[in-house]
Amino acid sequence: MKELSGLKHIIISATLFLAALLSVQAQQQQEPVMPGEKPKPTKYVAVEEQKQHLVFFQGFTLSVDGYGPVAMMISDYGTFEGALRLNLKNTFFPIFEAGVGRCSKEDFNTKVTYETSAPFGRIGIDFNMLKDKFQSNRLYLGARYGFSKFKYDIAGPAQSDPIWGGSIPFSMKDINCTSHWAELIFGVEVTIFKNFHMGWAVRYKRELASTKNDYAKPNCIPGYGYTTNTTCWGGTYSLIFDLNWGMKKSHKRGVNIEIRDIVPANAINNEMQNNNPEENNGD
Amino acid sequence: MATVFLMGCYSNNCPVDNLVTCNYGFYDSEGTAITYNDTITVTTLKPGFKTVYTYRKWGNTTVTKERPDEELVNQGYTETISQQRNDTILVNQLFGASSMKVPMSYFNKMDTLIFSYKRITLKDTIKITHTSYPNVELPECGTHRFHTLEQVTATDAAIDHVEIGHSKVNYDGQTNIKIFFNGIVE
Repeated sequence: MKELSGLKHIIISATLFLAALLSVQAQQQQEPVMPGEKPKPTKYVAVEEQKQHLVFFQGFTLSVDGYGPVAMMISDYGTFEGALRLNLKNTFFPIFEAGVGRCSKEDFNTKVTYETSAPFGRIGIDFNMLKDKFQSNRLYLGARYGFSKFKYDIAGPAQSDPIWGGSIPFSMKDINCTSHWAELIFGVEVTIFKNFHMGWAVRYKRELASTKNDYAKPNCIPGYGYTTNTTCWGGTYSLIFDLNWGMKKSHKRGVNIEIRDIVPANAINNEMQNNNPEENNGD
Repeated sequence: MATVFLMGCYSNNCPVDNLVTCNYGFYDSEGTAITYNDTITVTTLKPGFKTVYTYRKWGNTTVTKERPDEELVNQGYTETISQQRNDTILVNQLFGASSMKVPMSYFNKMDTLIFSYKRITLKDTIKITHTSYPNVELPECGTHRFHTLEQVTATDAAIDHVEIGHSKVNYDGQTNIKIFFNGIVE
């Protein structure tokens, strides 16, 4: 009998200890409530639903280059060019560039002149490297494939044979050439005012192929630049305008923000219980 | 300052050796590259004649000039005026060479070269038929005249036969004409 009463005593003690422990934990979880104050309902917010959603198609941008015309005024070579660009999720920018390049130079020492003026085209893609895709400023890397089909003229002093004698004028016109090249681009773009942006880009260019000719090599390719080396550097200073063709008004400049608080399930049940059951049946 | 700095770094890509010459390689009759151990002088035939002034004086070497020299006449030289062919020496007294470079005419269809040797009195004549065309690598390099060899023939005094090696004559430095001399190197 003594053994049974001892076991009873142990079980009761353990039960009381566990109950006390659980009550302490419950008090720690609840916010302290002042007397006469009702506890605030818990607000459930799904974090993922609070994220801003980028629309896939963000519209077109139209840009013109401001550097090429200035270069044409102050040097032998320059371009007039523009670009039409797609904006996909503020991340990828497929782009088509087109323009006219002009080169007219005369070498000071040899008096050989080179002239060409022809259209060119480039196609490629830019990638926005900024982590925050929602801001309108961009830092991007890009690549282009460029081509131009053009004719060029070369002329110079008459060629004279120093041994056998004789002289003949040196002038070659309308030499046909098709050139292909590739470009790697690093650039920035900042918003100036609403849909107007400006940006500069540095371009590293490599000539891939050009039509070979016995008489001459193209010294300058429209849209590419000088062929003195197999690679060359170029640049653009772009004036960029957003064209919101085919976009909803709420999606302009690319961001569709959806922030919602999810109502807890027990609150929904309470609301349903408070509603008129006839209306629910009518629905 | 920046302009001066950039100009200091400027370099053009003009060929180092931008003289356009026809390159000849020497071989024995079986095609082994050789060093030819005779003195070769190459003269080209040019159209027309030139006036030559020859001055002679007893006990002195004869002097030949293309312009009259009054001073030599005052020194007692006798002046003789004559008309000679307008030929020109292109390679003078080349010895122990395995190759040579000879310029080509810009506007003639055919170049005729006379090969004179020191060990044999006979001479060889090489006739080169070619076309010429202008070339500009870069405007800063100036203009050049390239050639395309069409046919080469030779006489057989010291030469076994000739062949076209590389028909495009430019400044690439490739052997354009191979001369196979008589004899075999052991």
